[in-house]
Amino acid sequence: MSVLRRLWAFPKSNVERTAIVLGCLILLLALVGAFLVPFDPMKIDFRAKLQAPSMVHWLGTDGSGRDVLSRLLYGARLTLASTFAVIIVVVIIGCTIGIASAFIGGAVDNMLMRLADIWLGFPPLILALGFASALGASLEAAIFALIFSWWPNYARLSRMVTSDILSQKFIASADALGVPTHRKVLHYIIPNAMDVMLIQIALDISAVMLAISGLSFIGVGAQIPAPEWGAMIADGRSYVSNGWWIVLAPGLAIFITAVSFNVIGDMLRRELDPTSRRR
Amino acid sequence: MAGVDIPMVELKGIAKSFARRLFVQNRSFALRDVNIAIGRGEVVGILGESGSGKSTVANIITCLTGYDGGTYRFKGRDVGAYTRKERFAFKSDVQIVFQDPYGSLNPRATVRGSVMESLILHRPDLSRAERFERANTLLEEVGIPAEAGDRYPHEFSGGQRQRIAIARAIAVEPELLVLDEPLSSLDVSIQAQILELFVRMIRERDLTIVFISHDVNVVRLICDRVYVMNQGAVVEEGFARDVLTHPQNEYTARLLDAVY
Amino acid sequence: MASLAPTSTDDRPLLEIRDVSVALKTGKRTMVSGVSLDIRPREVFGIVGESGSGKTLLTRTLLGLQDDAFVESGRVRFNGEELPVAGYAGRARKLLGHSIGFVPQDPFSSLNPSMRIGKQITEAIYLAKGWPMGAERTREAAISLMAEVGIPEPALAFNQFPDQFSGGMRQRIVFAIALAQDPKLLVADEPTTALDAITQRRVIELILDRSRRHGLAVILISHNLELLRQSVGRIAVLYGGQLLNVVASGDIGRSTVHPYAEALFDCIPTREKTLADIRSIPGEPVGAGFGLRGCAFASRCPYVVTACTTTDLPRNGGLTPSFSACILGRGAP
Repeated sequence: MSVLRRLWAFPKSNVERTAIVLGCLILLLALVGAFLVPFDPMKIDFRAKLQAPSMVHWLGTDGSGRDVLSRLLYGARLTLASTFAVIIVVVIIGCTIGIASAFIGGAVDNMLMRLADIWLGFPPLILALGFASALGASLEAAIFALIFSWWPNYARLSRMVTSDILSQKFIASADALGVPTHRKVLHYIIPNAMDVMLIQIALDISAVMLAISGLSFIGVGAQIPAPEWGAMIADGRSYVSNGWWIVLAPGLAIFITAVSFNVIGDMLRRELDPTSRRR
Repeated sequence: MAGVDIPMVELKGIAKSFARRLFVQNRSFALRDVNIAIGRGEVVGILGESGSGKSTVANIITCLTGYDGGTYRFKGRDVGAYTRKERFAFKSDVQIVFQDPYGSLNPRATVRGSVMESLILHRPDLSRAERFERANTLLEEVGIPAEAGDRYPHEFSGGQRQRIAIARAIAVEPELLVLDEPLSSLDVSIQAQILELFVRMIRERDLTIVFISHDVNVVRLICDRVYVMNQGAVVEEGFARDVLTHPQNEYTARLLDAVY
Repeated sequence: MASLAPTSTDDRPLLEIRDVSVALKTGKRTMVSGVSLDIRPREVFGIVGESGSGKTLLTRTLLGLQDDAFVESGRVRFNGEELPVAGYAGRARKLLGHSIGFVPQDPFSSLNPSMRIGKQITEAIYLAKGWPMGAERTREAAISLMAEVGIPEPALAFNQFPDQFSGGMRQRIVFAIALAQDPKLLVADEPTTALDAITQRRVIELILDRSRRHGLAVILISHNLELLRQSVGRIAVLYGGQLLNVVASGDIGRSTVHPYAEALFDCIPTREKTLADIRSIPGEPVGAGFGLRGCAFASRCPYVVTACTTTDLPRNGGLTPSFSACILGRGAP
């Protein structure tokens, strides 16, 4: 499709090309990584514990003898699936509210946006702790906490973008034609809002991922033995001196993923910015 | 008036105030006591400078905006009493082409898609293939090659975009076409092209036209009758050749004197 | 109401432009090529062109105001003083302070919104006169200037801010600032685009009146050929970055002009014409930076022959009052 060809024209430096390749690789691993694991990521074997990276265990083993690489690959799915879960839900809820708010306008619009503003004041961390104590510390709790605190971002963004679009003359043309609201949203709002939303989503992928790993790291998210990357770092903290690979592997994984999607997001922002030469 | 019993468009005593503010009383009106009648087959001009209210009149005639006083009768029926169904049917009776060719097409829809949309909404009896063909024919009619239908608006010039907007408007085969300053944003040599297109279409399609403009010379060329507006009121009306050569109203006279 | 401005009888031209080409700084693409013109003292001269013809680019570059373009080649002489191509922009801008007044297209952006208009005018006067005349005398000069350009109650207006005025008034303020330096040449770029017809006529009359009374030369740039035909003495016609015609305004509408000038006039509605008199030009306007050989109008010209795209355009010697770049010789004096 010409869309893909256009996308491939986007990267303007090797850094960006690398970021795209890495991003795709990571997504691929998240999908199929679980099937490629050389060892059982959950199997404890104290005889094999704390082995340095070798030909057998490419990334070594952790304090319980589990293969780090296998855990990393398995954890990719956990980390990324939960990231996308948060983003998908947040986008759906936020955009529904935001777009509806822009269409309704008036006092309702005002109220909803003020609500979103206030909601953004909730500190995600405290919320996470709250959810953790209510539901028990787990990856699910972290996901809920993030969904709860993140949706207003998309509500406000989508409302602003929709308002902008609605003020344009081609919407008046649509009104003159009698275009019904659902068609307006599907054919006028969403296609014209895509660019801006895509940029935000790309940037949020790394932000949410860092948040989830962060929450897991401090103990209110995924719990060991789940091989979520943040949790793996927390687990490996006590072995930093004699098992540095246990922390380095997931740490690097988080770093590379976050940076890659950030670079992709910046690249999209530069290419898709409506204020550039494209009309 | 071009011999007809009931005028197609009849605005009586139309008034519209500016946007309401909460604590300030409105003393000024965007439109005051506007009376306009348009008969079938006429080309009627509404002449005025910016701020005269002429675009507001265009929006009222097209039902894109409401009014605060007076009545608007379309083909004898009070538009304010329209049922939902009638309101939708109205959209295929009256269409509008706007001034700005750069903003009036959906940037994310193909050019043919924009024209087909008119048919999707108002000709559900047509199959997709028929709509496709008809859209191509319409594009050709306005001077856009059918093969270019897959392209997006930004790939076309201002004049071409205006043609596409016209195709989209006439796709529903309206009885009345409102043209709101359709030439003002175009290059001089392109204005003449689009003007010729209008003249041809009026002849071939038996359209009734409302032509909104600040350009006296263009109005003089194609309009049968003209209403001159100033600051929200109609100051003069009559046959174009009369009003524009022997104006009775002082404002009209000043305007005509000033125009090059 | 046609008013042809008086033609001048002085020998030496005020502004001599010889074979000037303007190119963009990035990419060095030539946008306007080989323009030669003479403007005489006290002459009212028009430049007409559609959007993309290069008329604004040429003018602003000649005045040293266009940051992204430069004078690539050619000779420019103002009032006998040579302006070399190297360091052109700086030298040209100095002239703007003393001898050339400029009224740009958009009056809103050229006024400082946070400075009272009286101050903006007095500043211009200070800059032009060199020695300050003293605050009181400068203020009086500013107020009389404002009265001259038709700003009502100038003493009161002196202390007001630009946003308190309408578009037409702001245009007059910008005009006053341009006149404050008592220039020899006034360049007005589309001074009436955003104005209504009545104000437009007033502003043009103001400019012409000032020219008549103070012996000011004027270059009026517009896309409105009819406006120029009724207002100026000679008109230069630009298309696709090429100077195609320099013609007396009285000749417009007759066949003694370049085919493009003829076609352009044929497609504009005027007071006298009927619908049958209007003849559109097929195709789309060609933008400046026309890189091909020959005439930029060839693709749309009714008289076109093969030679039009293979021959170089004739150059304007500048010595004759009129000129036509038609390869077929149409419109040549």
